[in-house]
Amino acid sequence: MTTYEENEGGRRLRGGRRRLLPYLLALGPGLLAASAGNDAGGIATYASAGASYGNGLLWAMVVVTIFVGIVQEMSARLGAVTGKGFSDLVRENFPLRATAFILLTLFIANFGIIVSEFVGIAAAAELFGVSRYIAVPVSAVIMWLLITRGSYGRVEKIFLGLSLAFLAYVAAVALARPDWAGVLQATVTPKLQLNAGYLQLLIAMVGTTISPYMQLYVQSSVVEKGVTPEEYPYTRFDVWVGTIFAGIVASCIIIATSTALFPRGVTVETAADAAMALQPVAGEYATILFGLGLLGASVLAAGVLPVATTYMLSEALGIERGVSRSWEEAPIFMGMFTGLLALGAALALIPGLPLIQVLVGVYVLNGVLLPIELFAILRLVNNKELMGSYTNRGIYNIIAWGVAVVVSLLSLTLIIITVLGWFGIQF
Amino acid sequence: MAVFSLHSVASPRPSFLAYTIGAPVRGKTGEEIGRLDDLIVRIGDGLYPPIGGLIVRDRRKRFFVPASHLASLNGIVQLNTSLVDLQPFQRRDGEVLLSTDVLDHQIIDITGRRIVRVNDVQLASIDGQYRVVGVDVSPQALARRLAPRAWGDRIVGRQIIDWAEVQYLVSAAPVRLKVSYDKLSDLNPVDLARIVDALSYRESAEIVAALDDETAAETLEEVSDARLADLLEGMDQERAADILEEMAPNAAADILEDLDDEVAEQLLARMEPEEAADVQALLAYDEYSVGRMMTTDIVRVPAYMTVGETLAYIRGLEEPPDPLLAVYVVGQQNPDELDDLPEAADDSFSPNESGEQLDLEQLPYLLGIVRLRNLILSPAETLIRDVMDSDAPTVHPDDQAEEAARVLTEYNLLAVPVLDDQRHLIGIVTVDDALAVLLPEVWQHRGERTFS
Repeated sequence: MTTYEENEGGRRLRGGRRRLLPYLLALGPGLLAASAGNDAGGIATYASAGASYGNGLLWAMVVVTIFVGIVQEMSARLGAVTGKGFSDLVRENFPLRATAFILLTLFIANFGIIVSEFVGIAAAAELFGVSRYIAVPVSAVIMWLLITRGSYGRVEKIFLGLSLAFLAYVAAVALARPDWAGVLQATVTPKLQLNAGYLQLLIAMVGTTISPYMQLYVQSSVVEKGVTPEEYPYTRFDVWVGTIFAGIVASCIIIATSTALFPRGVTVETAADAAMALQPVAGEYATILFGLGLLGASVLAAGVLPVATTYMLSEALGIERGVSRSWEEAPIFMGMFTGLLALGAALALIPGLPLIQVLVGVYVLNGVLLPIELFAILRLVNNKELMGSYTNRGIYNIIAWGVAVVVSLLSLTLIIITVLGWFGIQF
Repeated sequence: MAVFSLHSVASPRPSFLAYTIGAPVRGKTGEEIGRLDDLIVRIGDGLYPPIGGLIVRDRRKRFFVPASHLASLNGIVQLNTSLVDLQPFQRRDGEVLLSTDVLDHQIIDITGRRIVRVNDVQLASIDGQYRVVGVDVSPQALARRLAPRAWGDRIVGRQIIDWAEVQYLVSAAPVRLKVSYDKLSDLNPVDLARIVDALSYRESAEIVAALDDETAAETLEEVSDARLADLLEGMDQERAADILEEMAPNAAADILEDLDDEVAEQLLARMEPEEAADVQALLAYDEYSVGRMMTTDIVRVPAYMTVGETLAYIRGLEEPPDPLLAVYVVGQQNPDELDDLPEAADDSFSPNESGEQLDLEQLPYLLGIVRLRNLILSPAETLIRDVMDSDAPTVHPDDQAEEAARVLTEYNLLAVPVLDDQRHLIGIVTVDDALAVLLPEVWQHRGERTFS
């Protein structure tokens, strides 16, 4: 007897092989992976962007959404054609030292996000007046128990439902009556500001929207579902629908905060600030609505990431794995998984931690590490022996390389600006 | 873990692939021809696959050197000739490249019953020919390759699995291969199922395709539901139907219900009518009911048989039920309605007038149960009806699984008979069946992956 969720997911896709509306039936992994990008760190980044720069970063959201789509599409294609997960492919196709380097950066990036999810839980708890020193350890212990007892799948849907609270931003935008002409203009006219704060937010946006775990997730679910190259067009549709949907929600967060907070000069320092933008929809309940959404999104990701990261490493290393194994059977696996969860929770409890800044900071780190993952994906997806006739073609390949180069340049610029900043040189 | 012994190996020191790749390739007089890029093996050839050739890289060109030119592999690659035909290397079907397709790939460790990653490959010269003799799966081998050479040499410790004890997966190489999967038959279906669950879909399909119908059925009964549905829908329908026929009807019914309705119907249509009918009968019951989980394959005997005849009858069965916990004594009339009558009144207690045995189809009622223990302990000439237990509890096919479990526990039984509305015996529920329904999924499929 499988859990209900597993069956449903599997059937939806398998049915898709032969049924009418196969495209709609294939919606799933891509949609979920892209929505997962709008987690605690994502909300913080978008809200900061809107509050600090108004609609000034809206154009970037469009570009970033296209970037995400391309990267997610390549990952899904790797999964469909090779039938293998990302860490498998890296280990089998890169020299061992390169493998170690790539997986280490993914590990660091994922660990950063685990910390950020606990920070999100802390922020959500404080909105409800619960001390984070209670909320974070309790949720970490509950999560560990749920996962090791195998009942996580059952409660996952609840958190997924809670995280839908962020759709309220779409309603908030409609009710806030933004200056639509201005919004449209900001969306289509790229304006780059060369200062560290702006660049940081830009890179954080790239980092939160294209986070490595989304690629790991979409690829492994495509592999798990046994999608074949012939069925791949449906998956590609799923990936793009999910990406565009997530992009619209993210844009709405920027527009909502830019309408509600930017004119008043409020920068987003705490979760309560970000919640203020929801007042047009929820009035006095804005904080509660935001808190629920933040809690759902954070717990959802905090539940998946430690396991996903541990699987990634143990698959590459070839050690005994599985969350329902005992300590004797899989000591390294269980140790790594428990350690990630415990350390992630512990770091989020450092007293006086500026929560929103940490969330944005984690995604800056993610953005800086991202080029390494992107180049690895490009190498794999263009490997003829692996992909046969499914390698990147012509212009698409040029755009894909363009994405990697632009992201690398952004990261490099941020590193240079930061280093120069240490020597007192400011932009 | 098989520890490799060197009894048949001529070379005193086995070589390892990780340090051999990239080593200089020298001609007869010691001149450097290039660097070793890879080694070619034919996996199907014998227990220990021989090295068929070398791929040597000189600047940007890769060329092929046949193994007959290879003198030794020991830190450097020594050839027995200086005349090498510099033909560029081209891959052909059947050829596996050790460094590209074996090193760092997953293989199945048969004795260890698990999937491992190859961290190094052990080579040895047997009767003058270099062969693959084992794989090193130790973390130390990884550390050695990661560390700078000077430190790497100081890392000791290996964990070598004999090549005879591993199963190579064809999907690891991008060329067409013929690989025997005979070694998999050494594995218990439960372990095999765990491996099938842990591998990627495509690798697991490759393994199931190599199993015979019976082993495939036993294995798939233990595989997680989601993977199982993918595998069955992905394979040829004729083959899927053959595998379902080999399964216990209750297991097949559970599986078919999880499949797409359309596919389930097509598979049922392709199954043998008799097996399909059994499965369809079970499908009529609610998923968590006794009717669904019951076992219909049981031994029925008429009451007039002796213990000896019964044992002979069981031995003569083409496919005796498994598990075989008891035999069920059946009769023509409902024993509940015969309460006041002496047992002799029921003609099914003795052969009918013509002296022939009654068709079991005409004996639908359960009269009693003879547990295997009693059957074995009783003298051969005893009549079955004298050793049977006639007031055992029964359950109804519409009862919930919990009810059957409660009866089994309360009466300390291994199996309880299932009687339908007409009080006809239609099957039994064993402790195993009840456990499978009642235990949470996670207990049954320990190690099933939730995310990878």
